[in-house]
Amino acid sequence: MARLFVKIHLRLRSVFQTRKVEEELDEELQYHLDRQIEEGESRGLDPEAARFAALRDMGAIAQRKDECRDARAVNWIENLRQDLRYGIRTLRKSPAFSVVAVLALALGIGANATMFSVVYGILLRPLPYADADRIASISMNYASRDNVFGTMCIRDFLMWKDSNRVFEEPSLFRSQRMDIGGTGSVPEQVQGAFVTAGFFSTLGVSPIIGRTFMTGEDKPATASLAVLSEGMWRRRFGGSARVLGQAILVNGVPATVIGVMPASFQLPRRETEVWTNLILNPPTRYGPWFYRGIARLKPGMTFEAAQAEMDSIGLQMAQQNPYYKRVTLPVLSLRDALLGTAVKPAMLVLMGAVALLLLIAVVNVANLMLARATVREREMALRLSLGAGRGRLVRQLLTESVLLAAIAGIAGLSIAWISIELIRVGNPGNLPLIDSVRLDWTALAFVGAMSTMTGILFGLAPAFAGARADLHSKIKEGGRSSSAGKGLGRARATLVVSEIAISLMLVVGAGLLVRSFVNLQRVNGGFATPPHQLLSMLISPGNRKYDNAASGLAFHDEVLRRARNTPGVELAAITDSLPPDREGNADSFQIEGQVLASGEMNPVVSAVTASSDYFSTLRIPLVRGRFFTDHDRLGAAPVAIVSEGFAQRFFPAQEALGKRIKQGGPWMEIVGIVGNVKYRGLTFNTDPVLYMPFHQEYGGRRFLVVRSAGDAQPLGETLRREIQSIDPSTTLAQIITMEQALDLSVSRPRFNTLLLSLFAAIAILLAVVGIYGLIAYWVAQRRHEIGVRMALGAAPTEVMRMVLRQGALLASTGIAIGLGGAFFLTGLLKTMLFEIGVMDVLTFAAAPLVIMLVVLFATIIPAFRATRISPMVALRCD
Amino acid sequence: MSKPIDLVQGTLDLLILKILDLEPMHGWAIAQRIRLMSNEVLQVGQSALYPALHKLEQQGWIEAEWKISENNRRAKYYSLTLAGHQALANEASRWERLSAAISLIVRTT
Repeated sequence: MARLFVKIHLRLRSVFQTRKVEEELDEELQYHLDRQIEEGESRGLDPEAARFAALRDMGAIAQRKDECRDARAVNWIENLRQDLRYGIRTLRKSPAFSVVAVLALALGIGANATMFSVVYGILLRPLPYADADRIASISMNYASRDNVFGTMCIRDFLMWKDSNRVFEEPSLFRSQRMDIGGTGSVPEQVQGAFVTAGFFSTLGVSPIIGRTFMTGEDKPATASLAVLSEGMWRRRFGGSARVLGQAILVNGVPATVIGVMPASFQLPRRETEVWTNLILNPPTRYGPWFYRGIARLKPGMTFEAAQAEMDSIGLQMAQQNPYYKRVTLPVLSLRDALLGTAVKPAMLVLMGAVALLLLIAVVNVANLMLARATVREREMALRLSLGAGRGRLVRQLLTESVLLAAIAGIAGLSIAWISIELIRVGNPGNLPLIDSVRLDWTALAFVGAMSTMTGILFGLAPAFAGARADLHSKIKEGGRSSSAGKGLGRARATLVVSEIAISLMLVVGAGLLVRSFVNLQRVNGGFATPPHQLLSMLISPGNRKYDNAASGLAFHDEVLRRARNTPGVELAAITDSLPPDREGNADSFQIEGQVLASGEMNPVVSAVTASSDYFSTLRIPLVRGRFFTDHDRLGAAPVAIVSEGFAQRFFPAQEALGKRIKQGGPWMEIVGIVGNVKYRGLTFNTDPVLYMPFHQEYGGRRFLVVRSAGDAQPLGETLRREIQSIDPSTTLAQIITMEQALDLSVSRPRFNTLLLSLFAAIAILLAVVGIYGLIAYWVAQRRHEIGVRMALGAAPTEVMRMVLRQGALLASTGIAIGLGGAFFLTGLLKTMLFEIGVMDVLTFAAAPLVIMLVVLFATIIPAFRATRISPMVALRCD
Repeated sequence: MSKPIDLVQGTLDLLILKILDLEPMHGWAIAQRIRLMSNEVLQVGQSALYPALHKLEQQGWIEAEWKISENNRRAKYYSLTLAGHQALANEASRWERLSAAISLIVRTT
């Protein structure tokens, strides 16, 4: 035991008191040397001869010392320290190299850590619900409209519930905007949800205080109950527990607060602030189709089994209701339902792109290391000849590269931390599940592993190349290493070619996304008013008395009147839908005189209600007929306006004007045809649209949209005050300009485009550094040759052409490979592209051109430098 | 004087332990003592001596102490530890067996 302590003590001493130990070693050896000299003198040698004999006897003192250190068995720690110290010194000795290498890697690692955190948070991090991977979302699609995740009606739900065998307890929910009021508090409009009693228990979540809904609290004649979000609870009730049992007004109806959900609970939508119990009154008809199902798989049940059962339920539904054509009831995991269809492929593409970027960074640094290895070949050979083991040299070179990678890792982590904060807080991509994105241990481990891996990866080749160094030839060879350097030169050229190829692939990808985004930006929403001159807001008359059409219409007329009188407002209109993606209602319709087969129905179309000035406010063109007027009131002849697309589709080769159509209410005469407008998002094909006068189709919650001569943004506050002074229970929300609405609607494609372009730009930058380094090295190696050529009368332009040809050769090889890769990879972008093919000719033609120019740019400086080589200098240099 | 014989691998440890068993000594003295005691036959170079000393110290068989030497200078004196005594016994008996075995073979005619 005691011996163990002695050993540990000695070893620690050797490691931590290096200087003392080293001094003692020096002294010990010096003592020996002195005694040896004394002894020589005593044998009659003169002092100088004695000293010489002793020294010869002693051999290389440094080697003795090293052997003693070896004997102390602390060498691997000591070596590491030495290697690190040496590594830091080497890095500091060539700051340009170090900065470029660290920066390249830091960018690569930082971008990767960021993307990894985003992708992990969105696609992988377990959702904060018990056994979240067993929760399914059930939607419903049928043929009359091409929805991907459509909704069902209560009648469908009850049928599903009755035949259910695979789920624990099917629940139903519907998101809706809700007016929240109550005694003494400011009315506000928030996102709410109607949910059946089993909703919370299906998700396995518990409230902070109070309770959630209990079984049976969705039965007819149950009182209205409300569960609040933590945010609303703190904002409106100061976080007091006394909120339980209090009544609040939800859409004007009193509801008793029974519980508060933690802020982490964000279903069905992130911004949901209040949940009320959905009452399952026995439906008298099909529709409205506002609902989506959520349920937990029974133990032992799989998603496949669930889908099979839902398929057979869908068949039953189709048999019972002839309107349902090709019903499908997709069963999705909760995560897939939250993500939708577009997010996952985009995330994977970006992750792939960023991995390519890291690859370039690694290649680049490997290249720099190789270049340095060439320069250091003599140093390595010298060290080998002085007795350093090859393993030791490899270890030292690896330590250097891992050290470099570690520094880059730390820098990359800072980059990642900042960019993740930016993405998380601003959510520029409007990404779902953004709250689970954060830089945490998983990401740190990822970065750590990545740094080490890259360090070893780009250190390995040069390390072996260096340690292989052939002693004699390298030392003798000196600076004139035109032939021996070829091996390394070829390796470096291969690396640079692969850099160019990868950059080209990224540039092609980014080019496609940019072109697609430009297309998206060019999409005409169907209105001609400049977007920044339009301001819209969602107005909800909080008082229930406005449910009545007469008083409701009077209220909205007053809103319109005041809006028109507000200074700065040119025109104002009321509508329930707005471009580019704020569709209010959609329904099927009938055409007078049209005979449909039994069970047939016309497709579902966007059904918009609009006040008389709506079309002029947005400058939607009139094709034929007339706009709505103030005479199209309740009691006057029912009229409708249809979009051009509507007229073409349903009245081909006929005049649509004067035809009569019906949607639930009375027959309406088509009095006008207007231009097509997009209400379902810019990427959707233009939908047929049916317009009804606001006065003849009244509903509670409407947009006010105003047009101003200039920037409409500043009008918001004035309008809010004006409108709330009509009735203080009125709530306003989503006060944004059309510019902001358009911006928001393309935020995801913009985010994807921006990121991929950024990655491509960094890739090009790194490739430039790599190419420049290689060509400069090539020129340096051929100084002698070039000097001779110039001495023999070669013109500077010839020399320049010779160097540029090298760059062009690298570029064209890289471009050929890159085009091949891009050819296969762009298919992955398919779902992200809008109105552009994955083989877009312009992109595939322009990207190589860009790369070629960039390469030549990187080649020009060394090429120019080559022309400046003086024949004399070239001849002199060894 | 015939050419000094290089030490058989591993025997230097034994010699050092044996010498230090007599009295604590510094490196130079150990080398001298080995030379003298072997009638100038065994010559220990510093190249072998000091690494061996450091290794033995690391193993805990000997310990070092700075003392004033016979010529009034600071020198590093090594002495046997308890474990060192034990090791010496082991090494010595191992050597006895080894040399006896080798002699047996060499002398067979």
